[in-house]
Amino acid sequence: MKILKKHGLFYLLMLPVAIYFVLFSYYPLVKGLQTSFQDYKLMGARPYVGFTNYGTVWHDPTFWDAFRNTLIIGGGILIAGFLAPLIVALSLNEVLNRPFKKAAQLILYIPHLLSWVVVGGVCIFLLSPDTGFVNLLLVKLFGIQPINFLAEDSWARGIMIGSAVWKDMGYNCILFLAGIVAINPSLYEAARMDGATRWQQMRYVTLPQLANTMKVIFLLNTLGILRIFDQIFVMRNSAIASKVDVLMMYTFQKGIMEIRLGPAAAASFYVVLFTLVLTFAVRKMTRFDEV
Amino acid sequence: MKLKMTAVLSATAIGALLLSACGSTNEASSSPSSSASGSAEASTSAEPAGSSQAADTVGGKLAILTGNVGGKTPEGNEKFAKALGDKLGMDVTLDKPASDYDQKVLTALGSGAKYDLIEVSDLAKLNTFIDQGVVTDLTDFVKQSSVLSDPSVIPSAEWDQLKGEDGKIYGVFSKFQGATMPIVRKDWLNKLNLQEPKTLDELYNVLKAFKENDPDGNGKADTYGLSTSGLYDIQGIMSAAGLKYRYVMKDGKRTIPYASDAAIPMYEWFAKLVKEGIMDPNFVTNDTAKMRNLFLADRVGMITYWDAWVGMFNSLKQQENPNTTFDAEGMASIPGPDGTILMRRGDPDFWIIPKNAPHPDAAKKFLEFWQSQDGITLGSLGVEGYDYTVDNGTYTLTDVGKQANMDHGVPYWYNSSVKSPFPPLPGVEDAMALSKQYATLEVSLSTWPDAEKIVTNYALKAMSGQMPAKDAVAQMQKELKAANLIDE
Repeated sequence: MKILKKHGLFYLLMLPVAIYFVLFSYYPLVKGLQTSFQDYKLMGARPYVGFTNYGTVWHDPTFWDAFRNTLIIGGGILIAGFLAPLIVALSLNEVLNRPFKKAAQLILYIPHLLSWVVVGGVCIFLLSPDTGFVNLLLVKLFGIQPINFLAEDSWARGIMIGSAVWKDMGYNCILFLAGIVAINPSLYEAARMDGATRWQQMRYVTLPQLANTMKVIFLLNTLGILRIFDQIFVMRNSAIASKVDVLMMYTFQKGIMEIRLGPAAAASFYVVLFTLVLTFAVRKMTRFDEV
Repeated sequence: MKLKMTAVLSATAIGALLLSACGSTNEASSSPSSSASGSAEASTSAEPAGSSQAADTVGGKLAILTGNVGGKTPEGNEKFAKALGDKLGMDVTLDKPASDYDQKVLTALGSGAKYDLIEVSDLAKLNTFIDQGVVTDLTDFVKQSSVLSDPSVIPSAEWDQLKGEDGKIYGVFSKFQGATMPIVRKDWLNKLNLQEPKTLDELYNVLKAFKENDPDGNGKADTYGLSTSGLYDIQGIMSAAGLKYRYVMKDGKRTIPYASDAAIPMYEWFAKLVKEGIMDPNFVTNDTAKMRNLFLADRVGMITYWDAWVGMFNSLKQQENPNTTFDAEGMASIPGPDGTILMRRGDPDFWIIPKNAPHPDAAKKFLEFWQSQDGITLGSLGVEGYDYTVDNGTYTLTDVGKQANMDHGVPYWYNSSVKSPFPPLPGVEDAMALSKQYATLEVSLSTWPDAEKIVTNYALKAMSGQMPAKDAVAQMQKELKAANLIDE
């Protein structure tokens, strides 16, 4: 009570945000949990059916196909999407020409601002087998037959991973650069006095000092890998669906296309559960608590 | 002093937040009227109708959620809703989402939003809605209505489409739905001295000529013979092997002809087209809009699409250039081994009255009006004074009306006593005559969405040459049987 009196104004300021989260995050979450235990009909009685919906999803091979696709595509995005911006950030840090560095950062960051509708459309256009720039280039340079990148199983997942990494590279790169800038300059000075080369400075000063930033970025990216949706929704097609349909796509199809809201809600709670498990595993592996 | 200042600023900020929240709440609750008077892309509000008790008199208000009916622009939709309201003597709300219509319908129904009428275009969805307890039984209303029970308004046999498994009628047609067919560039056929193909070999030769003989005369090899949008409506060609899309029941057993051994040579035929560059290689990733644009841009000689679009294509090109030689023509499917021509009758567009409709009587009044001369004129030509004008009984389309192509949700209708004041769009009558002669509905069982994923996946792989057709069909059969989606 005393605390409330002392900091009442600040609690009051927090109230709109708290209401927002209760209304738009927690209420739907609880409602979704309730739906997952119901034989949910759009109108009329919605009897509770225990764990039937969870069982239906668990025994659906399509769900496990989607799970496998999610792990492969999400895992690819997680790893490549971590390493690529790190390498770029370390490289940019070595660039001394400031205007070039800023311009490079800006160009890298722009795709992050675009929606998947735009990026997906651009990718489909660029990868088109007849008029796409990539195929025109391949035909011109190597004289090979055009590749239908977005219709062939062997390319489908790679394209999804590559385009996702490209889109978000600028954002993660800026986070890494912010971490690099925060490193104490005296460490570099001491290294230089000890005769360290640029490479040794990067290896023995920058990377260890960046460890905490890396852990945070890796964990944040881990939280998102099971929730990939927009990209797949825009870029998938029936020919590659079996290779790229992810868990959220499965949920969407069950809920919106087939109007089976009970199993869809159950599937989404499996995603929540898997995300929790994955997050704890990553925390443990990266010793996140030691940050 | 500093603390006071902070308190004042904080109070102002909270006040502003609360006021803006109130503002947005009001906006949301009043969105029906704003959508009726504002936007073709109006978002679905939580309570589109009936929230105002004062105006909640039976017949006084009507809330409609539609995917096709209405104006083509926000301004056009506003005028359309106003004109509809004037004709019915009601305050009409017309919500017409610009995209993702099915999702909007589901969201509306799931959130408890109240509409008096919802337009649906999918018979499988109707069955789902019946199972989900969403739709009102309209059997008695239809039978007792002097308008709807009149066979000259809607032929009696057509009602079977809108019956549930219990034999009750759950919807009322919003327009006449035709069929899909191969649509060919007749002017290219004439230019290359080719006849309309009647066999698969003739079709191959025609498509090859479209690819290789420079039918657009620009001196470049930049045309394709055929384009499709995935597996969409290749029925016109699969007919050559006597294969009907979706399910076919044989002695009570579920079969999928596209997954049968008889489909193997057809997929091999398509793969040959792809390998020889005759077929648009983007057919796997094409949506129907891309396919249509390719056809309108003189890049392809044949596509597979709706009969109504034959007229639309010709009309659009003539508007663009009155001297155009562009001439699209609907074509019958390639006959099967026994001479049978298989064409696909599309699922109808129809209205349902949700069980939670606040004004079902108003909805029923609309359903009868929609089949009348006035309703059909509004649904086809649009709004008088905006889409068209009438001077001494002579109808003239405005520029806006010309762009709408006489389609405000009802390009074609059942009512045989209502005649259009304009001649039909070029080519459409012949195309529709084919539809009426040959097109039949498909059997759409509840397991089709799952089966379709398997069939489409392997069919596209076989057609694009990624997988031998024989292996693709074998894999289809294996997966369909394993998932209990076919019986043989």
